This record gives sequence, C-alpha cells and structure tokens, in this order.
Amino acid sequence: MGSDNAIEAHDLRRTYKARTGWLKPKRTEVEAVRGVTFTVGRGELFGLLGPNGAGKTTTIKMLNTLLIPTSGTARVCGFDVEKETRDVRRRIGYVFGGDRGLYDRLSALDNLRYFAELYGVAPRDQKRRIAELLELVGLSGREGERVEGYSRGMRQRLHIARGLLHSPDVLFLDEPSIGVDPVAARELRRTVSDLASTGTTVLLTTHYMAEADELCDRIAVIADGQIQALGTPAELRHRADGRRVVEVEAYGVPESAVDALRGLPGVRETAVEARGALQLLTVHSDAHVDVQGDVLRELAGIRLGRVDSREPTLEDAYVAIVSAA
Amino acid sequence: MKTLRLMTVGGVIAYRALFNWTTPGMFVGTLLVGPLFQLLFFAYLGRQLQVADDRFYIVGNAVLTASLACVFGGTMAVANERRFGTLGHVLLSPRSRTAIFWGRVLPYAGNGLLIAVVTLSVGAALLGLRIPLDAVPGLFLAMAAGSLACGFFGLTLGALGLRFRDVWVVSNVSVALLLLLTGVNVPAGNLPGWMVTVGHYLPITHAAEAARRLAAGDGLAAAAPALGQELLVGAGYAVAAVVLLKIFEVESRRRASLDAL
Repeated sequence: MGSDNAIEAHDLRRTYKARTGWLKPKRTEVEAVRGVTFTVGRGELFGLLGPNGAGKTTTIKMLNTLLIPTSGTARVCGFDVEKETRDVRRRIGYVFGGDRGLYDRLSALDNLRYFAELYGVAPRDQKRRIAELLELVGLSGREGERVEGYSRGMRQRLHIARGLLHSPDVLFLDEPSIGVDPVAARELRRTVSDLASTGTTVLLTTHYMAEADELCDRIAVIADGQIQALGTPAELRHRADGRRVVEVEAYGVPESAVDALRGLPGVRETAVEARGALQLLTVHSDAHVDVQGDVLRELAGIRLGRVDSREPTLEDAYVAIVSAA
Repeated sequence: MKTLRLMTVGGVIAYRALFNWTTPGMFVGTLLVGPLFQLLFFAYLGRQLQVADDRFYIVGNAVLTASLACVFGGTMAVANERRFGTLGHVLLSPRSRTAIFWGRVLPYAGNGLLIAVVTLSVGAALLGLRIPLDAVPGLFLAMAAGSLACGFFGLTLGALGLRFRDVWVVSNVSVALLLLLTGVNVPAGNLPGWMVTVGHYLPITHAAEAARRLAAGDGLAAAAPALGQELLVGAGYAVAAVVLLKIFEVESRRRASLDAL
C-alpha cells in the first residue's frame, strides 16, 4: 500500500459478541464485517454503499477508532487505527445522520465552540474557523439559536460543520442525508462535493444510489459484511449489462404472484418496493428475453398503474450486486 | 495553558449542555429551597430529640447540601452524553480524557459551594446561629473541599454510567447514603462501626467535621486534619473516575459495549 492512500483497510473483520440472561446465559456472535479490503486515495470521494445491516457503519467505526477490529489492519493517513488512535483522531472528522449527536440545550455556536475545544482547534483560530463553517453550511445568522429548535436538515449541516472544525484530512460521512428532505439533501450533496474539491478525503456511506452516483469517484458495494463490487460508478453500471428491467406499478400484489414472477423464464431478480398503497415491482431479466408480456399475464386481475420497460441504471446494478450476495 | 482552557472553558460549556437543573426555577427549587427545608427539618428534629445542638445540624446539613448538585451533576456530566448521543464525538477527541472530565467537575463543585454557602447563611439566620467571623474563611475552605470531593464522587458514578444504563438508581441511593453515613444528621458515635468505616471513605464526612470545628471556634489548625482527609477522599475519587472512564472506553472499543453514537 502506498503513501498516496488516505485510508488503507486490509482484511478487516469485526464480530459482535452478546450475552443475554444471568442464570442460563445465552451467547450469540454476529460477524458484522467479514474481511473488507480497500484503499481510498488522498482527496478521493469514496462511497461505501449497501443495505441496512451490511456492515457500513461498523467499517467506519473501525476506521475512526471507535471500534477495534477483531482481525485485520487499517491505517488512516498512515497511522494504525488500533494503536495510534490519537494521531488518527487528530486527522479525521466524523459526521453521521440522524437527529442526535448535538447538545440540544446549547446554540449551534456553543456546540461548535465546545467541540473546537475538544478537537484542539487553537483558541486564536476558533472564532474565524467557526464563522467560516457556519457560512459554508448556511447557518450564518441562525448560530445563536438553540439546537433543539433546528430542523433535521439544519442539524445535519451543523453535524458537518462540527466534523470540519479541525480541518480534518479525512472526513467520514455516515449516511448524512438519512431522513433529510430532498432540498436539504441536495444542499448537503453540494457541500460534500465542495469539500472534496478542496482536497479533503471523504468516505461516504449511504444507501441512496443516486447520491453515491452523483458524488463518488469510486464506490464499494458492501453486503453481508463483505465487499461485493468495487469500481467507478460507470464500471459498476456495467454489472447490469446484459439485463433489461420491467417496472410495474401495482396495488395489492400477493406474495404468490411475486413468486410466480421469479419463476418466469429469463427472470433474474424480482424486487417489490412499497410506496404507500402502491407497490413498485422491478423485474430484472436477460436482455434478449422480453418478459413484459409474461409479467402482465401473471398479474392478471390485479389493479395496475404505469408499466415501463427500460435499460438498467446504476441502481439496478446495485440491486443485482446485492441480490447476488 | 491549552489544558487549563479545556478544563475551564470546556467545563463551563459542558455544564450548560449537560446539567438538567440550570433553569432558574429548577435551580432555586431543587438546589436551594429543598435542601434548606431539609436543614430545618433535621434541626427541629434534633431539638425535639435533644441529640445535638443547632450548630451540629446547621453546619453539617449546609455542607451536605452541596452533595445534591455535585453527585447528580457529576453523574450527568458523563451519563447525559448517552441521552444526547454525543458520547462518540467526545470519545473521538484527541485531547486528554482526564482534562475533559475533571474540567467538567469544576462547575458542579462551584455550584455545590454556592449552595452550601447560601444554605449555611440562611439556615444560621433563621435559627439564630452565630458563626465567629474569623471562622468564615476556614468554613469556606471546608465547604469547597466537600463540594470538590462530592463532584469527583459524582463523576465516578457517572463513569459507571458508561457501563450500566441505570446509574441514576446508584446516584439516588448514594445521596441517601451520604445523608446517613457522613455523620451529618446522626452523630458518628451513635452509628454502627461498619457505617462509620464506610463514612470515612465518603465525601462530606470529613468536611462536615472540619466545618463543625471551625464553627465552634476551634480554629483552622484543629480543622486541618479533617480538611486534609476530605481532600484525600476527593483525590481518590478523582483518580477512580479517570481509571474507570479509561477502562470503559477501552472496553467499548474492544467489545462495542457502549451505544456510543
């Protein structure tokens, strides 16, 4: 591994052990990460993409020193994440999605002032740095308000400002846009993109394909604790080459009908996404087999909406990769 | 200098962020009025039972009043991080854990001292206790020592909160134990031997003894040994808190035992 890498992870594994009960204790083991290897170059915006429970957050927590790997090694900016924690922590920022992680009773300004102390920002630089970051994340003018009154989007932006206080070389963004409205999510993406353009290395975890596609130089798809695919968005898109996708909007599709679709000749994968009362059926098939007629025949008697047959997208490639895991 | 700043500036901001009773209503009601009534209760009970004089109860209870702010404050200084989901961000700090968490105790100790001073002043005024003027600096020292020791005691309980979710139960029980075992309301001579022994290792016990000697006009020299013992107890808890915090932090990295974020 060369020194051009900001992050180097080699065969990282993490097992969680839990014990429940006192009289007859029951021990369980869960392998959350099972041999993850990848590198992230300096200044690169790298995406770690995967479904819930895939091992994204565990991987990030090993890289940012909050968890010790069960086995394997990782270095951030050349420092071992297990043994040289203080050196790693000086060089990283960590932002995660959600409402928590800020002191609600304090203003945004006081939150940033406190974390500036914790992260060792020189006192003479604090005022200027905090003002810069408030401007960057669009919270100037609102910094005196208590965080408890902030919207989720504002909190997310404050999380990012906090993560950048000490000008980290590497920024870990763990699902930063989760639960954020589309407008706020777009602003977040713009902020992240701006960061990467200033030379900060960014490791982004998300399960929003479009977000990863728009932002990332390279993407690793992780599922079941292992990296299933790694490449540029264009390279990953090729994973869905040779496929065709039929999308059907339907209402009240029984599980038996979905199973029947899975059994159709030429069908590779079938997914159902609930959108309120509506169900969106996505059927992947071999490109040379036209399955649309068969699909509609199997759904006869069910109320249908839009039916579409199209070329696969990056999201389809992602579904294909994760389904194969 | 940077460490001192982390302890003072950081400590004060953390106090505002994590202490539940900072609003004027909560502060006055919980930390000033409540303990004052407790002082009056024990003073009148003491008069009724003729166990000890007013000075015994007023001085002892005034020193003890610091415990509420300090024990619960010290606990909140760590345990409330869970509530806000900020613990992970604190643990990601490259700064010294000792400076971060000892600094958090200082505002609570100051808080406790203020409450003790107010309670002693009001209690003495209401019950007609005369305190020698030359005893005031010494009394101030004794109450400061008691508050500081109590703050570190609370921080130790807070550190336990990193491992055990229901640490508030421990804090509640601890405050009740301080009431019983520190000799503030029951003279040590009337307690079973094991209780006296446990009391020796608790904050407040020696500070209350020192304060009583000072209020009786015995002078600082007579109170100094008890004052020294109180500071030793406080130092013991300060070290215990840091050691526990370190152990639980290492354990959390190894066993993922903290719901850190």
